[in-house]
Amino acid sequence: MTRMFVDSWDPSYGASFEGDGSDGPASPSSAQVDTDVEVPADQWAPIDVSSRVRCPDVVFLVDGVRRNDAGLWTAEEDGMSYAGLAASYAAGVVRCDLRNGVAELAGARVARGLFTASPSAEDLQAGSVRYEVHRVSGTGEASKLPAAVQAPLTALEIDISGAARDGGSDGADLLVVDGPLRNRRQLPRTIGYVKTQQKQYLSAALTTVVTSLRPTQRTPVFALGTVWGGWSWYLRLPGASGAPWSGIVRIECSPDLTPAEAIELADLSSATLPRFASSSYKDPRAPQNLVPIAGLERRLRGMLGDARVLHRALTLATAKTR
Amino acid sequence: MSYGWCNMIGVSDEAVEASEPVGRVLGTADATPLQFWTAVTPGSYLQLDDVVVTRRELPGREPVTIAGVVTQVRARHEGAQFDSDVFAIAEGTLPALVQEAAEITTTRVDPEFYVPPAPGAVVHRASGDARDAALHFDRMERRVPMGTGRDGVPVFLNADFLDGTRGAHVSISGISGVATKTSFATFLLYSVFRSGQLGGDAVNARALIFNVKGEDLLFLDHPNTKLDEATEAAYARLGLPATPFPDVRVYAPPRAGDSSGAPDVQSRLTGVDSFYWTLEEFCSKRLLPYVFADADDERQQYTMVVHSVTAHLARHAVPAEGGISIDGRRLSSYGDLVDHVVDQLTDDETRSTWAGSAVNMGTVNAFARRLIGSKRDLARLIRGDLAARRPHQIKTAESAQVTVVDLHNLPDRAQRFVVGVTLKTEFDDKEKSGTGRPLLFVVLDELNKYAPREGSSPIKEVLLDIAERGRSLGVILIGAQQTASEVERRIVTNSAIRVVGRLDPAEASRPEYGFLPPAMRQRALLARPGTMFVNQPDIPVPLCVEFPFPAWATRKSESGPPPAATMRSIVQGVDPFAVVGGRGGSFDDDIPF
Repeated sequence: MTRMFVDSWDPSYGASFEGDGSDGPASPSSAQVDTDVEVPADQWAPIDVSSRVRCPDVVFLVDGVRRNDAGLWTAEEDGMSYAGLAASYAAGVVRCDLRNGVAELAGARVARGLFTASPSAEDLQAGSVRYEVHRVSGTGEASKLPAAVQAPLTALEIDISGAARDGGSDGADLLVVDGPLRNRRQLPRTIGYVKTQQKQYLSAALTTVVTSLRPTQRTPVFALGTVWGGWSWYLRLPGASGAPWSGIVRIECSPDLTPAEAIELADLSSATLPRFASSSYKDPRAPQNLVPIAGLERRLRGMLGDARVLHRALTLATAKTR
Repeated sequence: MSYGWCNMIGVSDEAVEASEPVGRVLGTADATPLQFWTAVTPGSYLQLDDVVVTRRELPGREPVTIAGVVTQVRARHEGAQFDSDVFAIAEGTLPALVQEAAEITTTRVDPEFYVPPAPGAVVHRASGDARDAALHFDRMERRVPMGTGRDGVPVFLNADFLDGTRGAHVSISGISGVATKTSFATFLLYSVFRSGQLGGDAVNARALIFNVKGEDLLFLDHPNTKLDEATEAAYARLGLPATPFPDVRVYAPPRAGDSSGAPDVQSRLTGVDSFYWTLEEFCSKRLLPYVFADADDERQQYTMVVHSVTAHLARHAVPAEGGISIDGRRLSSYGDLVDHVVDQLTDDETRSTWAGSAVNMGTVNAFARRLIGSKRDLARLIRGDLAARRPHQIKTAESAQVTVVDLHNLPDRAQRFVVGVTLKTEFDDKEKSGTGRPLLFVVLDELNKYAPREGSSPIKEVLLDIAERGRSLGVILIGAQQTASEVERRIVTNSAIRVVGRLDPAEASRPEYGFLPPAMRQRALLARPGTMFVNQPDIPVPLCVEFPFPAWATRKSESGPPPAATMRSIVQGVDPFAVVGGRGGSFDDDIPF
């Protein structure tokens, strides 16, 4: 069995995964943008909530959380050493039944993985929990490992959001996925919800339309030509501080939809999402961090288990391998 | 799942299968051997007073069964951080769980191995034998039903702590009107007499009830016309018949200013006897100190005078045709006696023979003033004009099973006199007989008046005697009071059974109610009529008891036909002149002998 050592450093001292926290996109994007989808670019203006749109009764919100439980080092037979990362991650779905006023956890799943490039590493049993080994290709240096957690987490989110809808969908519900859609685009009636703006996709002239949005207003739909591109639009949530980019979220939907379908989803989103906006004294990421998502994250974090207990269990488990 | 552990507390498998799991022991709050919290499984519930049981496995030992009673329940939103989150949750935007948790106060650990229950352990609702075991009912050889718990199942009192075997006396506290203290006392008596748990003792036992307010207790032997099927079912659940007391005798004071000595009652017309003392008895039995039975009186200097006058009367009074003759003067009423005593005391020549020589005039005057003041109150009770051979004394041994003494028409001083003298006589009789059987239950309301915490009085002495020695002599005091904090401490502490009805908020915080856990103390502030909290030495937690509506009438309007026995009351055979037409012909004319 491969010998392993738990890094005595607190794993949270590793890389940061959150955005840099600044209000607004940091760098311009080179992606091709088609801004003539809904209205011609020269007629861009903020769009109010359409009075024809009715907010869906049921909204599903999906999110995942992750935590690095411990950094590890393996000692291979040949004297090599690989970095390892023991991480817990969980995905869950909140089903908000707005008509009946019930928000419930429609499904949640916790998984734990040991991410390493070590060819000899096996599943790690730490106390009562098992860290399944996820072999990382390449050299697997420690700084690359955290990113490797994202793939299984996304897979878990897709899994669970499909399952949640199986349980009870009225065909008119809306699924909100936290973060870009990426490979979740095949889910029906789904929008991706991007909280922080790292890239500036629009030209300077059109950006002023974004910054001039009033709460609950959105920009016209535009098409993003990136790898994971699709239809996208900006929306300003209520409760923003007043800074040009505060409270602005970017929403995207699958490029497989027709422009008309995308515009319908855009209208739906501006009718639905503002009511979920959080208030700043309760949530440091307000208003973008939606209330159900925040609640879900708290629940999921609780389900991940106590970090200190897991760290100790890992330490004990790896000590036994020696 | 194995239920083998339940056998330890004498639980059959059937009983346990009927008991459902209701939750698990919490791990986020400390679990201790005497108190722990239980998270309630979604879809189930626990209410206050529910009985639950859990089990703790121990290495190398038999498992420990921990049973307890729910003393607090709380529900909260899990996943909410701010108070205002409740709106988001109710709106359906914030996911949250409602989680209920119940605080369990341990009542029994079996075997006695005090370990905390393991967090996560399944907690079952106890029913059947498991519930009996949790509440120690299974260890009670003789158990007197005293009502039902919140779960509708009977709750028992250990008769050992009632009849003097291991303890005696009951103390009932609560605000008047809503606390239903006397109702509970009479129900308890009924249960003692009719449940059959005391065997032969119950048959021979006597009860002496003083009726202080209204004529509520004068109808104990009348059926209650408002008795409905639900109440009868409640009695049946407790194993009791829903009938009035079968054997009751009611005594009332003679009507004031009525020379025939007819009892002074308004609503009950039949089967009431009057009680009084003859002047001869007043002197020979040395009853004068009970005229001065106020705690206030005892502090005065004239106690000495009281005692020497008492002694003088006992020595020199000679019976004379109902009245007495003293110093050659015939006295035929209490008023005469008082006047004579006052005359003799104010006369310089005779004063020293009555009051002793070391008494100054001021003291004598103080005594005389009060003695004269007592004339109005006591004249109807201390008689020289009625036949001495007519039965007029309250004597439980010769009376019915239940003797009710009506005091409600009497002024305060007369009430004290009657209570003091009656209790003293009964206790002396018991003392003379020297055995603890038959039992005598004494029900006395307003104990704080007769045995106040401060000061001393002849009645308080008698009550203290009963509280301290009554247990061995078979005299059981069922005392009721609004405020236990104002009753002599030794009487309260000698009560094995403490009962609390609705309490006054300020009163509830006093140390006398330390046996109530904080949550129960709060509940006592809003207890409904018919709900009592009963603490008995066997069980570490007071039990919440609901006792059924009385099966006997508590007022004229709800009383059914009087029992046949009252038609042939003892009175008619006694006073040949009072009989014919004396009672308005409301009963059969009897041969006047």
